[in-house]
Amino acid sequence: MRRHAGAIVLFGLAAVAPLATRDAYFLDTIVLILMWGAISSAWNVAGGYAGQVSLGHAAFFGIGAYSAAVLTVHWSLSPWIGLGLGMALSVVAGLVIGYLSNRLRGPYFVLATIAFAQVLLIAASRWREMTMGSEGIPVPFKQGFWTLGLASKVSWLYLTLAFALVLYLVQVYLEVSRMGYQLAGVREDEDAAQALGIPGRRLKVIAIAMSAALTSAGGTFWAQYVGFVDPFYVFSIDLSVLFALNAIIGGAGTALGPFLGSILITSLEHYLRATLSDIAPGLIGVHLIIYGCLLIVMVRFVPQGLIGALGALFIRRARTARGERLART
Amino acid sequence: MAALPQLVVSTLLLGGIYALIAVGLTLIFGIMRVVNFAHGEFLMLGMYLAFWAFALWHLDPYVVLVIALPVFFAVGLLSYWLVMQGVIKASHNVQIFTTVGLSIALQNAALVLWTGDYRFVRPWHASEVVRLGGAALNLSQIVAFAVAVAFTGGLMAFMKFTQAGRVMRATAEDREAATLMGIDTERVYRLAWTIGIVCVGVAGVLLSPVYTVYPQAGLQFVLLAYVVVVLGGLGDMRGALFGSLIVAAVETVGAYTLGIAWKEVLYFVLFILVLVFRPAGLFGQRGAETLGM
Amino acid sequence: MQRRIPVVAVAVLTLLAALPVATAQAQLKGEYKIGVLEPLTGPLSSEGKRHLAGYEIMRDLINARGGVMGKKLTFAIADIPNPTAAASEANRLIAREGVKILTGSFSSTLCGAASEAAARHNVIYWESSCVDPRFTRRGLKTTFRTEIDGIGFGWYQVEFAVKYVAPRLGKKPSELRVVFLSEDSSYGQGATEAARARAKKEFGMQELAAEYYNFQTINDFTPILIKFKQLNPDILFGISRNNDAILLWKQAKEQSFVPKAVITAGATGFGSPDFGKALGNDGNGPFALLEPGPGFKVDGLRPEGREIEAAFRAAVQKATGSYPLGGHQLAAGGLWLLKLVLDKAGTDELGAFRKAVFALDMPVGSLVNGWGAKFDETGQNSNDRVQHYMLQWQNGELVTVWPEQFTTNRTKWLPLPAWDQRK
Repeated sequence: MRRHAGAIVLFGLAAVAPLATRDAYFLDTIVLILMWGAISSAWNVAGGYAGQVSLGHAAFFGIGAYSAAVLTVHWSLSPWIGLGLGMALSVVAGLVIGYLSNRLRGPYFVLATIAFAQVLLIAASRWREMTMGSEGIPVPFKQGFWTLGLASKVSWLYLTLAFALVLYLVQVYLEVSRMGYQLAGVREDEDAAQALGIPGRRLKVIAIAMSAALTSAGGTFWAQYVGFVDPFYVFSIDLSVLFALNAIIGGAGTALGPFLGSILITSLEHYLRATLSDIAPGLIGVHLIIYGCLLIVMVRFVPQGLIGALGALFIRRARTARGERLART
Repeated sequence: MAALPQLVVSTLLLGGIYALIAVGLTLIFGIMRVVNFAHGEFLMLGMYLAFWAFALWHLDPYVVLVIALPVFFAVGLLSYWLVMQGVIKASHNVQIFTTVGLSIALQNAALVLWTGDYRFVRPWHASEVVRLGGAALNLSQIVAFAVAVAFTGGLMAFMKFTQAGRVMRATAEDREAATLMGIDTERVYRLAWTIGIVCVGVAGVLLSPVYTVYPQAGLQFVLLAYVVVVLGGLGDMRGALFGSLIVAAVETVGAYTLGIAWKEVLYFVLFILVLVFRPAGLFGQRGAETLGM
Repeated sequence: MQRRIPVVAVAVLTLLAALPVATAQAQLKGEYKIGVLEPLTGPLSSEGKRHLAGYEIMRDLINARGGVMGKKLTFAIADIPNPTAAASEANRLIAREGVKILTGSFSSTLCGAASEAAARHNVIYWESSCVDPRFTRRGLKTTFRTEIDGIGFGWYQVEFAVKYVAPRLGKKPSELRVVFLSEDSSYGQGATEAARARAKKEFGMQELAAEYYNFQTINDFTPILIKFKQLNPDILFGISRNNDAILLWKQAKEQSFVPKAVITAGATGFGSPDFGKALGNDGNGPFALLEPGPGFKVDGLRPEGREIEAAFRAAVQKATGSYPLGGHQLAAGGLWLLKLVLDKAGTDELGAFRKAVFALDMPVGSLVNGWGAKFDETGQNSNDRVQHYMLQWQNGELVTVWPEQFTTNRTKWLPLPAWDQRK
């Protein structure tokens, strides 16, 4: 239980937040923290645990956002069905990316994923009959759980909290299960893992497909929450970067990392944007300069993420722990 | 096929623009193996340099070229020293996100300093047109093309005939062996980065009469430049030039026959196909893509 | 290992997340605050800032005329570069700044998300510029739009071609050979599809080609221009964003492409002052559908409209050194109308506010930009009240040329002569 103390505190605090305040902006910030955290966790399944760093995850996010919106608009079907469809489509797309991952490494793989998302962006912005083209889809709001029309921020908070919990547990499973160990082996040294009889290629593809499906689910929730699907945003490189960024800032390959990253990035973005755009319109954009510089500094000095950085505060404990572990191996 | 001469000319001129941007990138990507997401922002800075020199002192962009060389040499060194040096031995992820951060910071620094207004550099040659056998050529683009060829040739000669160039090629081919041979790889990286930035800064100055100057001006060229670089093969100057021409041809012919909406789809699909079937590029060394290093 | 660390991390970061909580500000006494949402960073920032400037100039004029409901009008401004930010910032202004009315937002993808968030709080969303026709058709009782929608843009473009251009080319509308070339964002696609539909169905124009491009990545129009040159159309219809229009026109000259008329719409691209700045006299000839520009007869307006229009022009001239631009005019026109509604309703309570909006019946010429107002039940101001004008680039300036009864200027170069004869 103790290794999950951080998560219990985090999710616990989120769960009781509505008791403390009904402030819509605060609740909105928490919903977005959980949502981006959960989607970054989905990225983490491929990027962190399997070591397949993608900057095209917006492709899956977009598929999820569109699946639900298109089904609702054209055939009045529930977004929950769209959620399932989006996940299925994303698995297929994930298999494509997975295939690429077996042929390409490092920067080549990254570039291929970017191109993949761009192709989907263009397709979505041109296929007017199905996607309404560049004009995007205003998601119809119908009150009710089956239609995912939740008017209250509190309901949204608990829904995203549940989603975040699922993602957290998926990641924990990857840490403790046989598949997780094997993936770690593949990530650290693929050839050695292969030699030990671990089906490295298949595992990577499975991890990417899982990651794709979970990201897609996040896309569906986001579209229902914000209420407007814009191809140039849902398939944007900015979003792909955000998903990876939260995980890397928080600590890639750890279950809590993406959530920590999301807390930092989301709240910082909200805070800086709110304060700066109010006091001095001339300084608008300054928050993004700070954001960019912070990013440079973080990945340089804390490449193992916030979890690692805070770990340094407890350096002695950490060192002894590492010593023990090294002694064991 | 009355359009043919113009299509050929347009391909050449557009290819020249891409080549200008891509030669610097292929150096950085080929030798350092760094995906530089901030490449477009340095292009944008080059355009702003040309704009301010033109607006404040009425300097023609071609005169500004002379200033641009030392300025971007300094910008290159400074950015390497401040930003890249610390992550040069780090993982790809760290490097990628470092350049993403640099891109966001530079773009918004331009927004805060110079606002989001669109700016124009319009010297006399910007609207000068040369007509040649049924085809029209924009003078600024001819110059850009000529400089692109000259730069590519110059860099090729540099890589081939100078000691520094040979060292860079050796490092590009095999980092570890280069280190074992006693090559100071850090110096090589610094040089590659700086030359790459000078190239793209110069490209920005040259493109300022053709396009519009604004904080996001570099964005549109970045992905495209990567398509070119991968197509041409890592670190290969000749490949970058031919890759540029191929991408430009795909765009131009695609836009003419299928419609302008399809040109991006065409080059991204081409990109993915090349990655899958000939990831070393048309001219590059085989095997680089699976090493990932 | 490191078991306590995540707990500490969570605690520290939660404090950080709570930071914004501390900044709540309610409405002050004697002031009336509304929220203004515009994209101030990112690729739309240039236009977003122009709209914001329009709002601020009009706000000062309103305050010099007694404010709204007897109170001083103030703004809470927010930057909304993307849909997530739009929804989130709408929430912030409502929850933290206590605003009951939001206005903005230039782009169709932003107004969709922001108005959705406003509706969940039952807060009035008063849109002054986005053109997505579906914006007011979602059954939201809280949304209103003062500007015409994308369908209106397309409608006016074709109207001008049929009523004005066709006779001067000596052709019947059904004999017109037309091409469409537009940017493919929400704005360009929406207005262009509306124009295509009307041109084809209502007037049987001959569409030779319809092309879309991405305005952020376009860097060469030559191939498409060669194709158009071979098609030799009478009219080129288009919607553009900014740089694309400049590049298009520059390369059209290089390729000696001469359609008989170029009809565009909107305050961006061909309608933006940058077009003239970049091209000078080479820019002469194209038409852009806009709010009224130079040549517009103020004395043709009704007295109440004349006063505020003159004051607004003078204020923009003073602040920017130029005639009001489309962005200024849309924002200011929307805000002035909001003041009139608020004064009449005397409250921002939704029921009374809606009643005041629907009771409006102002003929053309009653408001800034020579607008009138009559809202339909969806909250959309009507096409024929929001009178739009065709402006033409003449000698580096965009001047009003149509409808002719409202302007002192006359169309030139119709059909367009060769490139060297447009001086």
